[in-house]
Amino acid sequence: MKRRDWLKAAVGGAFAQAASGQQSLPGHPRDLVFPELEFEAPDPSAYRRELASGSVAYLVEDHQLPLVSLSLTLRAGSYQLPPDQAGLASFTGSQMRAGGTATRSAADFDEEAAFLATQLGASIGSTSAQASVNCLTQNLDASLDLFFDMLQNPGFDGDRLEIARARTLQGLSRRNDRLDGILRREFQRLVRGTHFSTVQTTQASVEAISRDAMRGLHGGSFDPRRMYFSVAGDFDTDDMVRRLDRALAGGWPAANESPPAIPAPTHEPRPGVYVVDKSSREVNQSHVRLGHVGIQRDHPDVFKVGIMNSVLGGGGFTSRIMTRIRSDEGLAYSAYSRYQPGTYYPGTFSAGFQSRNATCAQAAAILLEEIRRMQEGKVTAQELDTAKNYQVEIFPRFFATAGQVAGTFAGDEFTGREKDYWKTYRERMTDVSADDVLDAAQNHLHPDRVVVLVVGAKDAVLAGNPDRPGFSFESLAGDGGIQSIPLPDPLTMEYPEA
Amino acid sequence: MTNRMARALLGALLLAAPLAGQRVEVEEFTLGNGMTFLLLPQRGDPNVAAGWIAKFGSVNERPGATGVAHLFEHMMFKGTKTIGTKDIQRDSEIIAELDGLRDEIQAERAVLLEKQRRGLVDDIADPAQRTAEHSALLERFNELLAEQRELIVKDEFSQIYTTNGGSGMNAGTTSDFTIYFINVPSNKLELWFWMESDRLTNPVFREFYAERDVVREERRLRTDSTPTGKLNEQLEAMFWVSSPYGWPVIGWPSDLDAITRAEAMEYFDRYYSPNNLVASLVGDFDVEYVKGLASKYFGRLERRGPAPGAVRTREVPQQAEQRLTGHAETRPQATIRFHTVPDAHVDEPALIVLSAVLNGRTGRLYKSLVLEQQVAVQAGAGVDGRKYDGSFQVSGVAAPGRTPEDVEAALLEELDLLAREPVGERELQKVKNQQLAGDFRKLQSKFGLMLQLLTYEALGEWSNINAFSDRIQAVTPADIQRVAKKYFTDTNRTVALYFTKEGAGPPGGGRRRPGPASQGGAR
Repeated sequence: MKRRDWLKAAVGGAFAQAASGQQSLPGHPRDLVFPELEFEAPDPSAYRRELASGSVAYLVEDHQLPLVSLSLTLRAGSYQLPPDQAGLASFTGSQMRAGGTATRSAADFDEEAAFLATQLGASIGSTSAQASVNCLTQNLDASLDLFFDMLQNPGFDGDRLEIARARTLQGLSRRNDRLDGILRREFQRLVRGTHFSTVQTTQASVEAISRDAMRGLHGGSFDPRRMYFSVAGDFDTDDMVRRLDRALAGGWPAANESPPAIPAPTHEPRPGVYVVDKSSREVNQSHVRLGHVGIQRDHPDVFKVGIMNSVLGGGGFTSRIMTRIRSDEGLAYSAYSRYQPGTYYPGTFSAGFQSRNATCAQAAAILLEEIRRMQEGKVTAQELDTAKNYQVEIFPRFFATAGQVAGTFAGDEFTGREKDYWKTYRERMTDVSADDVLDAAQNHLHPDRVVVLVVGAKDAVLAGNPDRPGFSFESLAGDGGIQSIPLPDPLTMEYPEA
Repeated sequence: MTNRMARALLGALLLAAPLAGQRVEVEEFTLGNGMTFLLLPQRGDPNVAAGWIAKFGSVNERPGATGVAHLFEHMMFKGTKTIGTKDIQRDSEIIAELDGLRDEIQAERAVLLEKQRRGLVDDIADPAQRTAEHSALLERFNELLAEQRELIVKDEFSQIYTTNGGSGMNAGTTSDFTIYFINVPSNKLELWFWMESDRLTNPVFREFYAERDVVREERRLRTDSTPTGKLNEQLEAMFWVSSPYGWPVIGWPSDLDAITRAEAMEYFDRYYSPNNLVASLVGDFDVEYVKGLASKYFGRLERRGPAPGAVRTREVPQQAEQRLTGHAETRPQATIRFHTVPDAHVDEPALIVLSAVLNGRTGRLYKSLVLEQQVAVQAGAGVDGRKYDGSFQVSGVAAPGRTPEDVEAALLEELDLLAREPVGERELQKVKNQQLAGDFRKLQSKFGLMLQLLTYEALGEWSNINAFSDRIQAVTPADIQRVAKKYFTDTNRTVALYFTKEGAGPPGGGRRRPGPASQGGAR
């Protein structure tokens, strides 16, 4: 079979460039004339192969460098475990890498990989497991041998487990130290409530992790039929498929049942202003984030919502939130909004900033004002163009490397993304109108139902700015008032009464 | 075949068949005004990683204006005579009047600062402390800002790049350089030439005072409000006795409050002359086309005198061990640092290989301190070679039940061992194998390559990206032993021990008298 050179296939239009002799410069960038650039999204079917084991691989050759990169993803994660097993999934992933194999001690395994300069990794997150290997072409045999030995026969060395456990327990004890860490955790709790995505490890759950439990999770998950591979770099596709088939042929775990469905959160957030006091040390700046539940990625409005969010606060310096809070007022270094569509259930909308304690209320008021303004009138033609053009222009960047092509397509199939997503991407983006953006803002932003979270120096934040007495969290909170969230015991994650 | 035999064979393979082709071949040329270009055309996706670097940073600042190099970097995004305003005439008048008002406000502030110095005023930001004139000046200042806002085309610089598909636009300032970078679609490369040469020719520092507040917030975010930010800053200030590397890149708060627009302009005039600038493009473009654009756009930059000379104030040799003991909401840890050599020094490759012997899953620190002695939960080494000076450090986080002093002792023992005994051949070869593979891996990212070419050039010359690999491969066990003996001495040592201060948590845990016994991880 012929080698497919994805670069030649992908980059269509050559453009003529000629040095200009004249030295008079265009007065403004709008006077520049650019040659057309044609770019076709690569076709997934050109790289897709079904393996004998029943799994799927996307293989994208690129012979510029003598490197091969291979990764796999499969369905396994903390979502399938009860809260008292919190930490087991991530330990199982990291100990697959750290704990040697049935025939190689942990130390031998590490030395072998290090001497080959081969990078190996394994991890299990909340809804998927990943493993990867990156090596020099000349070490492919030995590297794949290590990789599949790690995946098939992990040793889960006891000493390595204890060392990881001690480090993790120490880390737990420090998780009320950083403002950003507290903000992330408490915001998720406010928006998601009780859900696998907000389960926290505790001293008890980490102490309960055993080699047997890790073996159990590994054995119930790493079934070749569930694996989605992406391979990129300096290899021959047919040869690589043969290697994968051989490696996956026998002696693997056979999961009895298919993985459970991923449960969606059922929590209804309670709107209001919430404050975590972190004045145990002197903090002269506090962190603020507000938001609510959003939409799922297969929602028909997802492109409109994306453009809407770019104008609001997702487009960096060209977005309204950044302009008002940072550029006009100098109130924050970073100010943003994110509208992240969820893959398996509705995602979240969030917006926030960090500002000195006295000015947090003013910046929060601006944030809410800008969210409401999105619902009250259409975005300007220039705002719309900037947001849309950017998405269309950067499209080739999604497929800039062989690794991105293989990884994107493998990930799409794993998560069940609609087939023609990339084919119609630019068209759907271009079709978004100012009316659509207004529509998206009115239907998918809910400034009256937001939770507002402040983490920092509570008293100073609530006191506000003597130069701008008009702004206060009390007035933002309205009837609901301001509620305190105490810091939990970092080891038990029990929250004292406020 | 046994594992050992297999390994011996592999080792022989890597030794016998040195990999070829990892050299970076750059097309270099310099314009008449002294601006240098490093071009690396590469087939691939239709994109160019583009950047330029000013070979000066916070080390070139003076006391009283620390942070100006970084603040200046922020100002480079605020527009030009063409970009960012509807009326450059009125805009310029407002800017001048704002500067005048600012001077008067500073005089009022000086009075308050003087009162604060005598302990008569606690908070100089308290409006109740202001005179009527002071309040009136602030009011006029805000009126002018409001008028200027009507003329400003908000963040037009970013808007133009964004609408044309420029991505990843940003800049960064270090002690030795400031670097500006972006990805542009290859058919829009001329836009990059227009935009970058325009801001180097006609910059206008509008919204200067709001941007200064943004930098103050950046400082609060990175330094003031993190658990160890201020301690780390104090460590730097202690480690460097005379060198300007001792002050923070972001600047001291008092200086940030006082730097004027005129001082930022002076910095620009002195350091942003084209003969101090280097640009680099990596990606999908034609070299001749780019050469034409370079002279057409950057050729107009005027050379403003010779490049400023080397920084005058150098570090004095350290005479005695220095120690810092801090308490913070963090894990108990130890850092040991030594003065070493600048990045371009002949001893640097041996120090880098030495650090690689210590680092990683199979490195000595992890194996000894974490796995065997279990005195630390993590440990690492690092080399920080800068333009005029350098340092080497090892650090580790104490395991539960162990102290920062325990970690310090274990780290020192590993350094002593390096001075006492030569590193094994196989151990050294492992590090070199990783370096060889790294030479290929670093070529995978056009953006990364562009950044590397520019930083190599700022600290020495770009071709060190190739020479560096050769120097690493040439390091011998004797070299490593020699530099360990030479630099890891008692009087050349600075030690920082951080103990855990229990701040957060159950109420009442706020203020505990810090002491050496208050560390300890998990209860």
